[in-house]
Amino acid sequence: MRGASPHYSAWSLLRARIKGHGYWQPLWTGHKLQEAYDVVIVGAGGHGLATAFHLARDHGIKRIAILEKRLVGYGNVGRNTTIVRSNYLLPENHYFYEDSLRRWATLSRDLNYNVMYSPRGVLDLALSEDEMSKAARRGNAMRLAGIDAELLDRAALKRYCPELDTQRARRFPIVGALLQRRGGTVRHDAVAWGYARAASALGVDIIEDCEVTGVRSTAGMASGVETTRGYVEAERIVFATAGHTAMIGSMLGVPLPIETHLLQAMVTEPIKPLLNTVLVYVYPGHGETYICQSDRGGLVMGGMLDGFPSYTREGRWDRMEDVVEGAVDLLPHIAGCKILRHWAGTNDMTMDGSPIMDRLRYDNVFVNAGWCYGGFKAIPASGAAFATFVATGSAPDLIKAYRLSRFTTGHLLDERGGGPFPVRL
Amino acid sequence: MTLATLQTRLTCPFCGPRHLSEFVFHKTVAPPNASPFAEVYERIDNPNLSIEHWQHVRGCRSWLRVHRNPSSGSVLEIHLLGAAI
Repeated sequence: MRGASPHYSAWSLLRARIKGHGYWQPLWTGHKLQEAYDVVIVGAGGHGLATAFHLARDHGIKRIAILEKRLVGYGNVGRNTTIVRSNYLLPENHYFYEDSLRRWATLSRDLNYNVMYSPRGVLDLALSEDEMSKAARRGNAMRLAGIDAELLDRAALKRYCPELDTQRARRFPIVGALLQRRGGTVRHDAVAWGYARAASALGVDIIEDCEVTGVRSTAGMASGVETTRGYVEAERIVFATAGHTAMIGSMLGVPLPIETHLLQAMVTEPIKPLLNTVLVYVYPGHGETYICQSDRGGLVMGGMLDGFPSYTREGRWDRMEDVVEGAVDLLPHIAGCKILRHWAGTNDMTMDGSPIMDRLRYDNVFVNAGWCYGGFKAIPASGAAFATFVATGSAPDLIKAYRLSRFTTGHLLDERGGGPFPVRL
Repeated sequence: MTLATLQTRLTCPFCGPRHLSEFVFHKTVAPPNASPFAEVYERIDNPNLSIEHWQHVRGCRSWLRVHRNPSSGSVLEIHLLGAAI
């Protein structure tokens, strides 16, 4: 195995205990950029790494490179709020995300790396009878597809999440919630490291600090990529650069139905165990808050998009206030906690809120993009399905609905029912 | 000329500098010869210049054409929509 990182097991950890820190080796090292590859993947985020892993393991492709502009896990795989769930309304989406959730459950074993999947449940709170009907409709759609969903009334909600103050008089009282018990959290950085380690062990070259600046083509097919480290020949090229896919579209001269927006997240100082689940909360006319507690004890919070195109990765202040207000409204006793860190990531926002997995301009150029705010939880399913697509040339049923042509044919997957705008405030 | 960084304020031609939360972004402006499909779904992505329609919703409600640099966050120009540029 390259990188000298050994197979982890109870015995190996025991050995590590005896041997001390010398036991721990880099997860991947010593990768050199070659002149030609079977598949070049652009972007070492969750989707790029997972695609490389499945191409190497399931399809036996030997010469694979991942080219990354910055560092492994610098983008959204290290910037999200770690929530995984499959509580989607539309069949195309809930079958896909359910496949992903099933894979999360066994991912630590598949990668031989602990990604700390914690099925602590995801609660979508309903603040009115109308929202309860909406939650029931979504829950029923999920149950028809064989996905677990439970509609909780106020008493059941209080039993499931005792920390939540459901009794206090509010303008919009908490009526109930939709619970998905198998939803929960996954340690996000571990996902990037685990996939990178497993892909590296299978012979994938992970090249950091190597920006792709152009695509060369001959006779209607792409022949390779121009990079800051020189030209690399490739039989197939995969773009998994969510957050910057619109720039890839500009590079290839293909306008895409994507706007690039910022999404913020923040974490408080560590506190004792307080919150046993994930709360998702949309306050009418105000904003959105989702909140969970990390294993270190920090309360991880996120909210709505900033609402206009940006690449700055700096969040706007009033959106941060929305998130914190929502969190304090749900859990008033955390009001004294300090925010330790705050950050933003760039999101590919498509015009129907669903991802794009298709060819782009050339027959041998593939794009995996437009994940909106659902990219992290999709990683295992996306990697497996997209690797099949790239290796065989035909898209598996699971991702057929995510083709780019749906915008021209009108087969949109508008989960939110909001029309061709990523965000409406 | 940089009017302000977008993270805090926008300058409305009527109302002067106002907090960003008073404004709502609508969409990037499609090229003049765009097909109806492109007008609705496609977006121009230039990391150095984004031309957009905004509305001063929680203010004078006028529609604005804003030129911004989405990589730096700076606002380059603001015009009243329909006014001669």
